[in-house]
Amino acid sequence: MEKQNQPDLENQDQPTRELTDSLQQKLDYLTTLRQAITAGDDRLIYELIDGDHYHQALLNEDPNPTRNAQVGLITDVHPAVSHYLSTKLIDYLAHEYPFFYYEETQPGEFQIYFGNWWDRRKFGKLNVLDVKFEFSAEEFNKLQKTFELAHAHKRFNTDAIQKISAASDQLQKLIDAQDDRDAQKDDLRQQLKENGQRNSLFDSGRIKEERQQIIDELSKLADEDEQANNAHATMKDNEAKILTLSKEDTILAYEKQAIENAFKSFENFNERNRSLYVDYLTTLIGKAQVASDDE
Amino acid sequence: MTNDNKKIDSATLSTHGKLSMFNEGLKSGLANGQKFTALMDELIDTSDGEVLLSAAQKLADFKLDSAYVTFPHQYKNADYYLIFMSRLLSMHQDEKAILNSRAHSESLYHVFDAITDDYTFLYQVVTNDNGGAYYTEQTTGESLFYIHLERRLLRFNSRAFTNLFINKLLLKGTGVDQINSVLATLIAFGHYLRDDFGFNVDFNILDVDNAAKYELREANLNGEVVDKLFVTAAQNNHMLRNSPKGHGAEIELQSGLIVDIFDAGKPGSAKWVLTVRDQGQRVSWFDVLLHFDFMRNWYLANIDALEIKADPLVFA
Repeated sequence: MEKQNQPDLENQDQPTRELTDSLQQKLDYLTTLRQAITAGDDRLIYELIDGDHYHQALLNEDPNPTRNAQVGLITDVHPAVSHYLSTKLIDYLAHEYPFFYYEETQPGEFQIYFGNWWDRRKFGKLNVLDVKFEFSAEEFNKLQKTFELAHAHKRFNTDAIQKISAASDQLQKLIDAQDDRDAQKDDLRQQLKENGQRNSLFDSGRIKEERQQIIDELSKLADEDEQANNAHATMKDNEAKILTLSKEDTILAYEKQAIENAFKSFENFNERNRSLYVDYLTTLIGKAQVASDDE
Repeated sequence: MTNDNKKIDSATLSTHGKLSMFNEGLKSGLANGQKFTALMDELIDTSDGEVLLSAAQKLADFKLDSAYVTFPHQYKNADYYLIFMSRLLSMHQDEKAILNSRAHSESLYHVFDAITDDYTFLYQVVTNDNGGAYYTEQTTGESLFYIHLERRLLRFNSRAFTNLFINKLLLKGTGVDQINSVLATLIAFGHYLRDDFGFNVDFNILDVDNAAKYELREANLNGEVVDKLFVTAAQNNHMLRNSPKGHGAEIELQSGLIVDIFDAGKPGSAKWVLTVRDQGQRVSWFDVLLHFDFMRNWYLANIDALEIKADPLVFA
């Protein structure tokens, strides 16, 4: 095909030549990509799908958007490319990040699960094309906070749990004090009765005031009775809340432990996440090297 | 009806006829007694299992008294179940269920050396059409299993085992070894019935088979119950893991001993179960309860949801 067309090229005018050149580049790009996929050359695929990033990150070159002139050609097949590249990438990640698990929720899209324990958290997404974790900010922040609090020997929910436990203790006291309150109420009602029987022309202001005090006090006790009556339900709610918080603490503790086992520290973990693209591509280059040396 | 007819008839009979009828009555009553003693011989002396079972079966329903002959000393039908059990165990050299009789009465019960003899065991015969009998501890009223000799079935009852051996014994200081000694005999009894006579046996909470699925009372288990296990397990240095297959969780209690809790039902109809897996298939859920404090505490604290279902036909 190309050879047949060759003679005609001489006769083309400038814009037409530019057009055919441009199309030829596109064809070359797609051909190279197809060959890379057929050959299982993941390194080359990465270079092709984002050459500018590749050259900057791995070869320390300056940015140059023209390296990505053709990448728009394949955006519609990104999910399929991502699916293709995920196999080797996830193999690599399984070794480097043994606590992450992935579920392909739709072609090329990978949900990250943290850990293999009960009710492990969804932790964000794996961007295969960029070789990048896109952690859920909320989940990541909880984990970060967990590491910070560990210095103070606290867990993520220690304070919240203490607060709820204290509230439950308070309610228990309220329940326990029912007899005292009943006695107090009897006493106050008696006082109220006596107060009502006193009828002094000169002292009516004081008697009224005293009466109001007794009534206030009774209504305060009635409020406490009401609270005590609802206390069991509230305490049960509190128990459920504490369970949820304890469970979250347990999960966060496992996550922290997993990171420490694999990376020693949270800082190292973050560092490795930042250099993931370079690290992975370097491994691919290394493998390509070994393969070509073997030939 | 038959008796009434005879009475009416006898009134119209001659004296000879009356005597002859009396004599026939005695003879058949005595023959009945003879038949009884022959069965008793078999029950207490035979070394043939099938003969033993058949004697026990017949004696369990035997009416010894007749219109003309009554016997002042008699055992209750329930006692023949006890004798049968003791005999079957002793045929297999297990003498741990000690058959005692009460002073001044023909009344039998079992005690076990390994636990205090405050706890006495005997059978309670079901009086309705279903038949069969429950092996029941007297002071607690806990029925450990149900047996039906004729239909050849045996059903263990998780609730009674939990109440008696855990709540009453283990938690009040009885050692696991002592409890296991009693359990071993009861389980062996189940095995002998199954292996010697082809009984259909549901070991229920005592089943050591890895394939045994212990069904939970709350078929659609509230996730909170599993959350609680997750938290308490972590506090006890065990990790409750996400089940690799299906909806549920698993926990490795020691190397090679794994408890699963998962939904074994179909979509739309949940059926949460526990399983216990170990290489030798020697561990039942009940063993787990006896040996792992935090598992037991979790089970007991959530017993309304977690209680292992026993056969609903005999343990409603």
